[in-house]
Amino acid sequence: MSTLDMTSTHSRPVPHPKRSLITRLHMGTGVVVGIIFAALAYYALKSSLLTYTDKVADPLTPHTDNIVLLGSMFAWSIGFLVGIGAFIGPWRWMIGKDLTDEEILYMAGDGQGIKRYFKYCTDHKVVGIQYLVGVMTLLGVGGTMAMMIRTNLARPGGHFVTATVYNSLVGLHGITMIIAMIIVATGPFGNYIMPIMIGAYDMAFPRLNALSWWVLFTAIPVLCSAWFLGGIPTGWTAYAPLSVQAGPGMNAFVATIIIFAVSTAVAGMNITTTVVAMRTKGMKWNRVPIFVIGSTISVALAIPAFPTFMLAMVQTGLDRTFNTGFFDANMGGSGWLYANLFWIMGHPEVYVILIPGVAALMEIVPVFVRKPLFSYNAAIMGFAGIAGLSVLVWAHHMYIAGWAPSLNGPFMVTTEMISIPTGLLFLVLIGTLWRGKPWMKLPMLSVFAFIWDFLIGGITGIYLSDVPADGYLHGSMYVTAHFHFTLMGAALTGAIGGLAYWYPKMTGRMLNERAGYISFWFVQIGFNVLFLGMFMAGAEGQPRRVMDYAAVFAHSNMISTIGAYGVGIGMIILLWAVIHSWTKGTIAPMNPWGAKTLEWTVPYPVPLTNFDELPVITSDPYGYGKGK
Amino acid sequence: MSHDTEFHVHHDSDAAVGRRERLGVRLLIVADGAFLFGMIFSYFYLRNLNAGGNWLPKGVKHYSATSAWLVAIPFVIAAITHRAGLRSKQARNLTSVVTLLALLVGGFIQWDQLAHMPFLLKDDGGVVSFNGAYASNWALIAGSGIFHYFLSAFIALGILIRNRTTNLPEELDLWRQRTAQSWFTWCAIAAILTGITLSII
Amino acid sequence: MADHIEQQLAPTPGERTAIFFKRTDVVRTSLLFIFWTAVFVVLGVVFYPKWMPLVMSTELKSAEAIMVWFTVISAPIAGLVLAITSNAFLNMHRGDTPPPDGPAVRTNGPVVAVWTITSLLFALVAIIWGLTEMNGQAVAAARDAKSAITVEVTGSQWLWTFNYPAQGIETHELNLPVGVPVVFDVKSADVNHSFWPVQLGVKVDANAQVTTVIHTTPTKIGAIDVKCAELCGLYHAYMETNGAVMSKDDFNAWVTAQGGHNA
Repeated sequence: MSTLDMTSTHSRPVPHPKRSLITRLHMGTGVVVGIIFAALAYYALKSSLLTYTDKVADPLTPHTDNIVLLGSMFAWSIGFLVGIGAFIGPWRWMIGKDLTDEEILYMAGDGQGIKRYFKYCTDHKVVGIQYLVGVMTLLGVGGTMAMMIRTNLARPGGHFVTATVYNSLVGLHGITMIIAMIIVATGPFGNYIMPIMIGAYDMAFPRLNALSWWVLFTAIPVLCSAWFLGGIPTGWTAYAPLSVQAGPGMNAFVATIIIFAVSTAVAGMNITTTVVAMRTKGMKWNRVPIFVIGSTISVALAIPAFPTFMLAMVQTGLDRTFNTGFFDANMGGSGWLYANLFWIMGHPEVYVILIPGVAALMEIVPVFVRKPLFSYNAAIMGFAGIAGLSVLVWAHHMYIAGWAPSLNGPFMVTTEMISIPTGLLFLVLIGTLWRGKPWMKLPMLSVFAFIWDFLIGGITGIYLSDVPADGYLHGSMYVTAHFHFTLMGAALTGAIGGLAYWYPKMTGRMLNERAGYISFWFVQIGFNVLFLGMFMAGAEGQPRRVMDYAAVFAHSNMISTIGAYGVGIGMIILLWAVIHSWTKGTIAPMNPWGAKTLEWTVPYPVPLTNFDELPVITSDPYGYGKGK
Repeated sequence: MSHDTEFHVHHDSDAAVGRRERLGVRLLIVADGAFLFGMIFSYFYLRNLNAGGNWLPKGVKHYSATSAWLVAIPFVIAAITHRAGLRSKQARNLTSVVTLLALLVGGFIQWDQLAHMPFLLKDDGGVVSFNGAYASNWALIAGSGIFHYFLSAFIALGILIRNRTTNLPEELDLWRQRTAQSWFTWCAIAAILTGITLSII
Repeated sequence: MADHIEQQLAPTPGERTAIFFKRTDVVRTSLLFIFWTAVFVVLGVVFYPKWMPLVMSTELKSAEAIMVWFTVISAPIAGLVLAITSNAFLNMHRGDTPPPDGPAVRTNGPVVAVWTITSLLFALVAIIWGLTEMNGQAVAAARDAKSAITVEVTGSQWLWTFNYPAQGIETHELNLPVGVPVVFDVKSADVNHSFWPVQLGVKVDANAQVTTVIHTTPTKIGAIDVKCAELCGLYHAYMETNGAVMSKDDFNAWVTAQGGHNA
C-alpha cells in the first residue's frame, strides 16, 4: 500500500492559520460554552415545564425534575463539544469548505507544546496521554471509593458512612472502575503506541480520535454530579425497576452511560479501521504484533456490545422522564428486559476489558524471555474464540432470575466452553516461559502476577458457571471476589505491566524501578489477601453490596479490609512513581528492552507523523532465539 | 529529531481514503444495528411477555401498519436517488435535491406521528403516561427514526451544497458519495426492519 | 517442547522419554507440579467444607460437591501452569542487560492439540456434571410436587413475608418441617429482590407481577438465615430474617401457635 505521497503544501514549524476559529478554541472555551448550554437548557426546560404544570400544587414532579436534569446534562456535553471546536470539521464539510492543510496541521498540535493537551488535538500521541491521565484519575477516584467501602466493612455494625452514601459508593466505585478498565489499555496504549506499532503515521480518523476522548471527558463531570444529586442506590448494574424508582442522582448515571457509549463506539470504530486499513507495507495479518490483534478484537467486540447498554439506559431515562413502561410491570414492562439488554452488553464487556490486558502481557513476555511468542495462532484463536463465545453467554448472569429456567442448561454449556479459548491464552504464556530465563524487570513481574490471579479467577468462574453451584453463590461476596480476580488481578495487572513496558516511549523516561517493585508486592499481596477474605465471606453466605453483616462474617471481612489497605498503599506508591519519574526519572534510551516492534524504532519525542518514511516489514516481531 | 522538524499533511490516495472511510462508516452502522436489534428485541420480548395484559391494554388505540411503512418509504427513495446520483456530478445536481426533500418529508411525517400519539394517558397532575408497553416501544422506535432522518438530512444537505458550490473534481468527491451511500442504504434497511416490527402489533 | 533435544541426539523413543525426564528443568517442573497440585487439592478439600455453612439440603450438598470436586479436578491443570511459571520465576535473570536468547520454539503442534483436547474434556466434565445435577433436581421437584408444602414468599423493601396457604398463616420467619419437600412461590411487592435461604443453598429472584418458583427439601434440623441477594435499595443489607428447619411435631406445634391449622 504505497499510498503515501507526502505532498508538502505548507511546511513550517508552527502553523497558525489566520482568522480560523480553531486557533481560539480550547478546553476553557469548551467548559464555558458547556456551562452556558447547560444553564440555558436548565432554565428553558424548567420554565416551560412550570407553565405546563402550574395548575397543580406540586409543580415539579419527579418526572419533570428528571427531564430538567437529563436535558441539562446532555446540553453540557454538546455545549462543551461545540465550545472546544469538535463540530468545526463536519460544519466545514457541509458548507463545502474543507479544512486547509494549515488548519489540519494546527489541529494536530504541531509545535504547540503543553497547550495541545488542552485542545481538540488530533495527534494520536496527545490523545494517548490524555487517556492515560484520565484513566489514572478514574482509577484513583474509584480506588478511594473502594477504600471507603472496605473501611465501612472492617467491623460488623460499622457506620463509617451512612446507608445512602454506602450504596452510592458501591455503585459509583463500580461504574468508575468499569469505565476506567474499559479504556485502561486501549485508551493510552491503543492510541499512543498502536499506530506506531503497525507503522502508521496517525489513526484513520484523527478528528474522531480527539472526539472520542473529549466526549469521554464530558462524561466525567456528569458522573461526579451524581454525588451532589443524592447518589445512586442501584450499584453499577442499575437494575430496573430500582433505577426507575431512584432519586435524581440516577439521572447522572443514565447520562454518563449514554455519553460513554458514544465515545466507545467512535473509538472502537477508529482503532479497528486503523488496524485493518493502515498497516504499513509488508505487515500481513500474521506479522501484526499480538497486542494490536488483541486490542482490535477487544474494541471490535465493543462496537456491537455497548449500544444495547446505551439502549437500556435510554429506556431507563424514558421511564424516568416521560413515564414510558419499559421496565414497569404495571405498565406491561419487565425488569427481565433490562437484565437481558444489560448483560448482552455486560458479558462481552468483561472480555473487552480483559483481552487488551492479556495481549499487552503477550507482547511483553517474548521480549523479556528472549524467545518467540509460543504459538501466535493459538493466541489469536484464544482471543477470537473468547470474543465469539462471549456474545452467547449473557444469561449466566440470570440463572436465578427466573426469566427462563429452561435456558439455563444451554447458557451453562456456552459458558463452560469459554474455558477452552481461555486455556489457550495460558498455554501461550507458559509455552513462552518454558525453558526461558525471564529478565526480571517491572513489566515481567506483572506476567507472573497475572498468571496466578487469572488462574484463581478462571477456576472460580468454572463453579459459578455451573447452575447448581451458582444457586448458592450468586449475588454473594464470592462473585465479587471472582470478578475482581479477573478484572483487577488479570486485566489491571496486565495494564500496569503495559504501563511499565511502554512508559519509556510515552514519557521519555524510565519508571522508577525500586518504587515499582515495592508497589508491585504491596498491591499483589494486598490484593490476594483482600479477595481471599472475600471468597471466604462469600462461601460463608454473605451477600454482596451490603453495608453491614452478621458477626459470623467478621473474620473474613477483617482480612479483606487489611488486604485492601495493602492495595491502597501500593497504588499510592505506584502513582507517586509514575508522576515522579515523568519529570525526574532517568532518560530512557530509544529501545530500553531490546524489543523488535516498531514503536521502539522511533525516538522520543515521537515525531508528529511518527516515521520519516513508513517502514517496510519482512517478518513478525518475535524473531528471538537461537536455532531454527 | 525534535519538534522543529518540518511536517506535512499526508495525502493518501482517494481510493485508500475512501476504503478507510467506508469501513469506518460500516463499523458505525454495526453499532447502530446493535441499537436497532436491541429495540426490536425489546418490542418482541415485551409483546410476548404481555405482563399483566398490559402490552396493549383494552381500549387503547394504536398506529396501523401502514403508518410504519409510510415512514419507511422516504428512506428507500432517498437511498435510490442517492445511488442514481453516483453516476455523475450533473446527475447529482438533480438527485441531491430529491434525496434531501425525501428525507425532510419523511422526517416531517415521523415527527407528526410522534406529536399525535393516540395512546397517551393524561393524569390529573398533567403528567403524561404511556398506556402499555406497545406505546412505549412505538415511541422509542419513532424517536430513533427521527434521529436517522435528521442525521441523514444533514448529510444530504452537505452533499447538495458541496455539489453545487464547490469546484471539486468529480473523482475527488466520489468516495465521499459512496461513503454516504452506505449510510443511506442502511437507513433504508433499518426503516424496513422497523416497518416489519411495527406491523406486528 | 522436547523437539530440540530429540533431534540433536536422535535416540529411540524410550530413551527419549528417559532423557526428557532427566533434564533438570523437567525434574524441577515435575516437583513443582506435584507441589502446586497438592496445594490446590488441599485448598479445595479443606476450604469449602470449612467455610460453607451447615449443609441442610440436597441442593447445598450438590453445590458444595461441585466446588470441592471442580477444584480437585482442575488442580493438575493449575499445577502444571503454576509449575512452569514458578520454574521460570526461579530461573530469573537479573541485571541491566537482557538475558541470552532462549530456544526459538515457535509452536509445538502436539502440545497445542493435547492442551486443547484436555481443556475440552475438562469443560465437558463440568457441563455433564452440571446438567446431570440440574436434571436430578428437576426430576426430584416433579416427583415431590404432590407431597410438597407451598410457601408464598413476598419481598418488599426491606422485609420478607412468608405465607403458608395450606396452613393459613403469614409470618416473617421461615420455619419448615424436616424431610418434607417445599415449593417457594416468590414475588416482589416493589423492586427486584432475591430470596436466599442460605443453608438450603437455593436462590431465586423476586419480581413484581410475576411469580418465580424454586424447590428444595430440607434434610437437617437447624437454624436458617434468609437474606436478600439482589441490591434493592437503602437497607438491602438489613433485609434478612431467620427461621429454622424443625421436626414435624415442632413444626405442627408452631403452626398451631401461629393460629394456623395443620393440613
